[in-house]
Amino acid sequence: MADTVGSFSRSFAQQPWALWRRQAGRLTLIEVRRNLFSWKASWIYFLAFVPTLLIFIHGLVDRHFVEGISDDTNVLAGIVQFYYVRLGIFFGCLGIFSRLIRGEMIERSLHFYLLSPVRREILLLSKFAAGSISAVLLFETAMVANIALMYGPFGAAGRDYVFHGAGLAQSEAYLVIVPLACLGYGAVFLLLSMMFKNPTPAAMLVLGWEAINPVLPSVLQKISVASYLRHLMPVSIPGEGIFALLTVETEPVSGWAAALGLLLLIAVVLTYSCYRMRRLEIRYTTE
Amino acid sequence: MSVYKHDYRPFAGKVTPRWMRIYVLSRYGAAEAWSSKITVGLFVLSLLPLVIFLIGIYLANNPLARALIVKGSSGAIDIDAGYFLKMLEFQSWLALILTAWIAPRLISFDLADNALPILLSHPVSRFGYVLGKFLAMFMFLSIVTWIPCLLLFAYQAYSSPLPWFAAHLSIAAGLFSGAILWITVLSILGLALSSWVKWRVVATGAIFAAVFVPAGVGAIMSAILRTRWGFLLNLPMMMSVLWQRMLGAHPIFAEKYALPTPAILAMLLASCVCFVAMLNARIRAREVVRG
Repeated sequence: MADTVGSFSRSFAQQPWALWRRQAGRLTLIEVRRNLFSWKASWIYFLAFVPTLLIFIHGLVDRHFVEGISDDTNVLAGIVQFYYVRLGIFFGCLGIFSRLIRGEMIERSLHFYLLSPVRREILLLSKFAAGSISAVLLFETAMVANIALMYGPFGAAGRDYVFHGAGLAQSEAYLVIVPLACLGYGAVFLLLSMMFKNPTPAAMLVLGWEAINPVLPSVLQKISVASYLRHLMPVSIPGEGIFALLTVETEPVSGWAAALGLLLLIAVVLTYSCYRMRRLEIRYTTE
Repeated sequence: MSVYKHDYRPFAGKVTPRWMRIYVLSRYGAAEAWSSKITVGLFVLSLLPLVIFLIGIYLANNPLARALIVKGSSGAIDIDAGYFLKMLEFQSWLALILTAWIAPRLISFDLADNALPILLSHPVSRFGYVLGKFLAMFMFLSIVTWIPCLLLFAYQAYSSPLPWFAAHLSIAAGLFSGAILWITVLSILGLALSSWVKWRVVATGAIFAAVFVPAGVGAIMSAILRTRWGFLLNLPMMMSVLWQRMLGAHPIFAEKYALPTPAILAMLLASCVCFVAMLNARIRAREVVRG
């Protein structure tokens, strides 16, 4: 046993970590540039910042009284719960992460990467890191701007609410939820883009699955990104009509357990993606 | 005989009438759509809810069968405007899925392979090309929306023991006009977005995003600015309200969210004009060479 552990640690230490780190860094940088600084990515900016624009208009147009803070807190919670998690981050990550592998296949350029002396796991994880950095950077910036613009017009009362009141914990929660949502959906869509020629129908099934998830048995609820995020929401907004289905009360889970559960789900999905990447074959004629 | 000795002379056979040429495009478009097994699967899947609604109508009109199948339940099934509204909604959302799958197949290939200049060099106008593709899409969606809905309406009229048809004719009119409106919007939206996106994969996602993301933005707008007009961006909600009014069913949404019908129709018209402008900008006989 001790020999096995010793040989494993020796082989672990002998791996060319420095080279892998350098390769991963370069690959990530290329992808981040492509994701953030191209015209094709402009629609992701729209998805991330359209609520910010509306909140900005609200700040300019409407008058702000201290009593209105609780209303605006509910509106912000609704934006995160119903827009960012269900639509904005979902479709944003679908666009970013589907493009990483499937987009290269359609553009017939993935073989350049596969022919280069880079481990496929490094390639996949670098692309995932690049997609995550892009998505987190955009949506987290938008979230910070949303919080600032939502409470800024209230003046001292707004600042007090955010820095010394309940707003601090809420802001912290939102700033954790957004990156977790990006990572969770990103991992799922990266895997789907390797499994299917057209990952969008599968992504729509995921959207449907996420919608009906609250009414499923608790075991099935664990195979969902939104279910973990639901437990992290600081303010829960009940849906009306058919949307009430989306907000069924479930067994309470602590924030740490929910975050760790989601990270575990991401790790499992990424591990399987690495396994598929090792066996990936491209036939451009069938694309 | 050598090739150069051939003389070129005009085609002497029967020429397809001008107005019929768009059907050639429609026919090939439909063939392209049906060539995928997934299309067939989705089509079959989209007919399944109709079987359930058909059973519902059968049970509603046969007390004996109802007593045998739905044991222990004495409640009668009401076949009214609400019942047909549910049917129309189900079929219409399935039509959206079909549009997202089929519309990119009709246009994206022509654009991605630079086939448009070749197609438009034939005696087919740009309008004819778009109309041909539109008809292919429209006919496909008709098969899953208004045609089966009206067939079920006819079945209900036939199997009802009481005089039913004349009294409920407004439901049939609502089903027909509501479905026609929806599939027209869907067909134009699908073709317009597919013409702007080179990759079929992206076009499929873009069609879903074009329906759901503005709905979310509209909801935010309504919540932040405390106005109901934000719901004019919410296509699913607008259509639900419109269908409910066309069929004369009970209101689905609260009164405070209710939008006037002319505003909804104006918004749908404005959207269609935007989509037509997108098509006009994109469907041109030109070849894009990069690099």
